[in-house]
Amino acid sequence: MAIFVQALISGILIGGVYALIGIGLTIIFGVMRIINFAHGDILMIGMYATYYLFTLLHIDPFLSVVITIPLMFLFGAMLQKVFINRALDALPQNQILLTIGLGLIMSNSVMLAFTSDYKILTTRYSSSSVTILGISVSSPLAISFAITAAITAALYWFFLKTDTGQAIRATAQDREAARLMGINVRKMSTIAFGLGAALAGTAGALIAPTYYIFPQVGSIFTLKSFVITVLGGMGSVVGATLGGVLIGVAESIGGVYFGSGWKDVVVFTLFLLVLLFKPAGLLGKSRT
Amino acid sequence: MKRFVVLLGAISLFVPSFAHGAKVKIGFVNSITGPEAPIGENLTNGVTLAVEDLKKKGIEVDLVKEDDTGKPETSMSAFEKLATRDNVTGIVGPYSSKCAAALAKLAEKYKVPLLIPVASKDDITRQNLKWTFRLSATTNDYAMVLLDMATKLGKPKTMAIINENTDFGTSGAKSAKEYAAKKGLSVVAEEAYAPGSPDYRSTLAGIKAKNPDLVFMVSYVADAILLMRQSRELNLVPRAFLGAGAGFATVQFAKEKDISNDVFSSAQWTPDVSWPGAKEFNERYKARFGKEPTYHATTAYESMRIMAETAAKAGGSANRTRDLLKRGKWNGIMGEVKFADYDGYTNQNKHPMLVQQIQNGVHETVYPPQYAPKKPVYPFPGWGK
Repeated sequence: MAIFVQALISGILIGGVYALIGIGLTIIFGVMRIINFAHGDILMIGMYATYYLFTLLHIDPFLSVVITIPLMFLFGAMLQKVFINRALDALPQNQILLTIGLGLIMSNSVMLAFTSDYKILTTRYSSSSVTILGISVSSPLAISFAITAAITAALYWFFLKTDTGQAIRATAQDREAARLMGINVRKMSTIAFGLGAALAGTAGALIAPTYYIFPQVGSIFTLKSFVITVLGGMGSVVGATLGGVLIGVAESIGGVYFGSGWKDVVVFTLFLLVLLFKPAGLLGKSRT
Repeated sequence: MKRFVVLLGAISLFVPSFAHGAKVKIGFVNSITGPEAPIGENLTNGVTLAVEDLKKKGIEVDLVKEDDTGKPETSMSAFEKLATRDNVTGIVGPYSSKCAAALAKLAEKYKVPLLIPVASKDDITRQNLKWTFRLSATTNDYAMVLLDMATKLGKPKTMAIINENTDFGTSGAKSAKEYAAKKGLSVVAEEAYAPGSPDYRSTLAGIKAKNPDLVFMVSYVADAILLMRQSRELNLVPRAFLGAGAGFATVQFAKEKDISNDVFSSAQWTPDVSWPGAKEFNERYKARFGKEPTYHATTAYESMRIMAETAAKAGGSANRTRDLLKRGKWNGIMGEVKFADYDGYTNQNKHPMLVQQIQNGVHETVYPPQYAPKKPVYPFPGWGK
């Protein structure tokens, strides 16, 4: 039983970060109907930013989020303005090629600049943990989960209560109608991509202290974020949150009961089952 | 014009003096970038020192370096380039077992002698390959020396094995399992993980539940650090953590004192071992590169020295170099070296393994007693003690 609870808690903590990655992807998809295949690479840039802020300027990885968020927002907004905007009305396969290309450029530029060596962030609390009722909880994971929860809450508030948030949701619901209602759709797209990139970058910053960092780390997360959003329902923020936690738990429990080599099998079996019985995802509405 | 003629004359005066020193062209394949680059750096440094020493002895090494980025397919194209375009006499490298396994077959195909410094998967020298030589001990020996020590120090009954699911990892795990059976240990858990998914908490939680006396791990640097970090998080306390060289033998790992203290690691070489020139090499290396050498550096040094000296003696002929490697005998910083055929091995040096333990952030040799200045700490005292 203790193992089960241990696996469950580890899974939920990791799942929190997965949720953040998934939410970023789902916002971008919701507003622009573009699947951002560079999502993992944006996350990787967040990791490198955190690593160098820590090793060069000695800023704690969790505090550095304050710098990473606006930085990654601007980066995302720039990507949208310069590249994505041009492909908004293009064929879906061209949009996919565009984002894949952007991702390749990012990972290879980073490899050129920092080599493909694995980097590990070591902080004071890297290997510390708190034990509650015989269950040990990794401190860095717990902190990152707390930050994730705060950011997600702020995001919900932003989407539900602010004018900009509502405008973004309107754009996601119906681009044409939103435009007719006087919403600046282009601006909303830029904000949405910026938000998505900021969330991916933040997720990168939050896992940097517990993962290792290398230029190709992004591809692992691109796939993961894709599974999370499809599982939760494309375009649904609540769905992505749920999907992230679900995938985290499935990985963790699968690792314990089936062996670490099998945890991906557990994840993808779950994924296939959801797609079979609810093709639009857990909280997705089919658009017919 | 006149000045040019004088210059030519001057050059021609110097040319004969070069002709006295033998010149050999040697290839060097290594993980210069990629996940294994932190270990690869040690090999590069070892080779750099070897080339300098060879120059002092009058052997000019024309070294052609190739980066395999840790991928077998890249190492293969590097080998083909060295063998066909650069026409090298012999090749030293590569670092990792997965690359070395790929190159061993190419050496046979292109008939270029390959001297593997430190890649330790057993099978590499067990295929009756005539052109592949190996200086280091094999993963079999990594597991044997650690389990010999553990069974001498206490009476462990159970063991868990965690390994990376690549050539080096699976072959290390396999030999650990076989040798454990011989020593009367029962293996209660076997976990092979895929590199690049660095969340081992669920794996470790499963192992903790089985409460093994020994935890045996085969991993490279980044995973070694994360495995120990998460073991500490989950408060996994076996009687001993046994690391099969690689990541556990690096300075980077030792520096993470919180998690690396009292961890055992098998090693091919240690600075305080009583082999000729070992201590001097350690001092020179530290002065030159500003850090401690690992056994990867010394095996690379010795491999390059042996390969270049042999190639020079053979007058640059690959065929003769191979014969001389087969017949030769050396004694240096890695102890006695001789490439022999035994127990199904071909061209394998019977190298004695050592065990180190990290004590206060430094690797100390603790076993076997005849080479070891320090005493091992056993059982593992627990985290933060």
